Amino acid sequence: MSHVESDEDTGPLLFCERPDWTDVTPIPQYEGVSNPIAPIFYTPEYKDATDYFRGIVKTGETSERVLELTEEIIKMNPAHYSAWQYRYRTLLALNAPLHSELRLMDDFAVNNMKTYQVWHHRRLLITHLTAGSVPAADPFDTAQAELEFIARVLDVDTKNYHTWSYRQWLLAHFDDPALWLGELPYVDDLLQEDVRNNSAWHHRYFVVFGRGSRAQATPAEGAEVSQRETRYVKGKIALAPNNASAWNYLRGILEFAKTPFSSQAEFAQPYTVRRAPWDDDDVIDLDNPKPSSDADLPSVSAMDFLAEAYGRDGGESVTKAVDLWKALANQHDTMRKKYWDFRIKEALEMKKD
Amino acid sequence: MTASTNRRMKPTPVDGFPTQTSDMQTTTENVIKARFETVKASASDFTTDGPVLNRNAHLQFLLRNLVQGFPARYISQDASQPWLFFWTLQGFSILGVSMDESNKKRAIETILALQHPFGGFAGGPGQFPHLLPTYAAVCALAIVGYPGENGGWDQIDRKKMYNFFMSLKQPDGSFLVSHHGEVDVRGIYCLLVVATMLNILTPELCAGTPEFISSCQTYEGGFGSASFPDWALSNEGYVKDVSAPRPPLGEAHGGYTFCATASWVLLQPYVQTYYPAKSLPQPRIDLHGLLRWATHMQGTDIELGGFRGRTNKLVDGCYSWWVGGCVVLVEGLLGIGAHSEGKHDKEGEDGHEHAWGDVDDSLFNRKALQEYVLIAGQHAAGGLIDKPPKPADAYHTLYCLSGLSAAQHRVVPSEERKTELAAAWVEPAADEDSDELTKALRKRAFVETLAWTEEEGTAVYVGGSANRVNATHPLTDLTVTHATALMAHFYRQAVPQRAAA
Repeated sequence: MSHVESDEDTGPLLFCERPDWTDVTPIPQYEGVSNPIAPIFYTPEYKDATDYFRGIVKTGETSERVLELTEEIIKMNPAHYSAWQYRYRTLLALNAPLHSELRLMDDFAVNNMKTYQVWHHRRLLITHLTAGSVPAADPFDTAQAELEFIARVLDVDTKNYHTWSYRQWLLAHFDDPALWLGELPYVDDLLQEDVRNNSAWHHRYFVVFGRGSRAQATPAEGAEVSQRETRYVKGKIALAPNNASAWNYLRGILEFAKTPFSSQAEFAQPYTVRRAPWDDDDVIDLDNPKPSSDADLPSVSAMDFLAEAYGRDGGESVTKAVDLWKALANQHDTMRKKYWDFRIKEALEMKKD
Repeated sequence: MTASTNRRMKPTPVDGFPTQTSDMQTTTENVIKARFETVKASASDFTTDGPVLNRNAHLQFLLRNLVQGFPARYISQDASQPWLFFWTLQGFSILGVSMDESNKKRAIETILALQHPFGGFAGGPGQFPHLLPTYAAVCALAIVGYPGENGGWDQIDRKKMYNFFMSLKQPDGSFLVSHHGEVDVRGIYCLLVVATMLNILTPELCAGTPEFISSCQTYEGGFGSASFPDWALSNEGYVKDVSAPRPPLGEAHGGYTFCATASWVLLQPYVQTYYPAKSLPQPRIDLHGLLRWATHMQGTDIELGGFRGRTNKLVDGCYSWWVGGCVVLVEGLLGIGAHSEGKHDKEGEDGHEHAWGDVDDSLFNRKALQEYVLIAGQHAAGGLIDKPPKPADAYHTLYCLSGLSAAQHRVVPSEERKTELAAAWVEPAADEDSDELTKALRKRAFVETLAWTEEEGTAVYVGGSANRVNATHPLTDLTVTHATALMAHFYRQAVPQRAAA
């Protein structure tokens, strides 16, 4: 067989050409369906491997060569969930070393990071490796290594959805203070890199608020954290006042802490007007950083925020909210005119009641 | 007024602080703007009525896929074959073309080959059953199938399907997408559409699912993929602590948000039937936050009003349906447009100057979304796309067309239709294995699902009525006709004609 492997043009043998596979009966797709609609034009290699996969599934065989077969299939089609599922069952049946499976999957994950199955398979492996009273692998070390691996993958694509949800699952699953501890500096790095990375903002929320009272034991601790986060996000808003991700995070903090939006009205106000009178002003208010000099004002997100603050205050403030919503509807955010009009109508009806 | 004649194409502000995200945004805006100029300059793509839907090119694209098949790069979709069928067949339906008998027969045979002996449908023959292909297969059968021998509908094994669904159920109310598979709200949406259409909903199937959906809503208002269950679960594996955090995994995202919102709507018959009867506290979602998030995903003029799928990401034609369609569902939940007596109840509203001059109460910009699909979403060689200069594919073709449909037509949960359907309801004779609550649940599911009806006189066709595509049912993405026929069959009901408007 070695002469085949050295010949790059030929590639590995098809399963139907391999002497050690002659005992398996391949099953073609759509046996008995004479003329299937919308067929895919498979490569000979893919057709061969999946015919043999159907043959294996039929007999229920779980053996070393099944690992070889499923690896071939998921290399050609990482979304073949049945191949992944069967591979996992085979690994367990063989009591195979899951560590080496994990390492095998490392490169694979980087190259196929947009596939659900790649991440789910890791999750199954990690769970299995660290489960039980005498786990096969040390949970903390495993999780730590996994966080480092994920960071390398996110380095390639900082917004990869599956990778981020996997990271969040991992942190919650192992729920070790020492693991959580590294997350804020990590998110901060990413936000320094790109303050508009919404995945990083979501992760920040997950880390800071997602655990609820599990993270902040006392109300005082909770208040301190909210203040710290409010300060942090306001600094980021000042850098790029039209960044919806940061404004959404500010709203998220206030909602979580059940703090009125109007507590930040003074901060938001300068972002809602075109002129910048504070340009001549030397006074620096550390609690309420001003928009950067290059900012494109007014910021739609700021107007949205301030209107929300006024609207929730109710009473006479509603008029101020309505003015902002009108300006959004008719001038600054005309695409959402119907939405802003809806907000006006709703607020006025509420006021009437 | 079409926005394309008098729009201000203002670039998204960068605040003098460019980052990778804003660089990509700027590049995309330039690409879309250039496409807009090209299309506007082409007499065949842009007439005096506006942009043209190249219907024939898209039909050719669909026909090629259906009859000749898909090139080898679609090997990546080998485990999603029912989706290829559904995207293609529903594309035809939206474009107003139905299959001839021989292609219907071929399609039914092909789809039935994917039904798994243990229940549910698989991504391909000999693969394992999975919730996503199950939805796609059942919807494809709704389009091409019919009752009786070889018709596809009565060959669906509903009993095994139900058992398959229950075998995926998790203690937190969620479902695995397949055995050893992941949990996420796409699977739950697929399960609920199928269970609703096939009349196999039970309280046991739905138990805990509303609470799970609710837990996936993020601080931004949209929904993430799933949530983390363990802190709320007891060692015995049930939800012990309802106040324990169940944080969402992943940020608010268009696809998940559509699936979660539609699931929430599909669960309402269960919630309304079961919770009062059992004196359970009603689960909640933040509807206003959801509405804000979804409407904010619509891009500005320079993006031609296409939708993005996450905050600060790029617009993509497929979100025309996932997010545009989601706004429609939220409007339904808020009771907007559900007024039963015409559109006159808005009159004389405290003389405030914002007049509701438009034809409808829709909360997103329907005209602009149509422009995105027509101008940025069409490929010259047929088929529809994410954005220029991407190639066309089966997925984007359907979801661009579905989004176009959702922007042209206003399909709302009609109170009148509910009354008609409820009045015509005939209690099934021999349904001895169902208790009273289950019967009430099923009746409600039937009535509420089929109450979605196009509002008369509110259709808007950018580029003129030659661009008209068929209306779709907002919960299923089938035409109302197909959804109705399938459900009438499985609920054994004769569906009354719509009263003349």
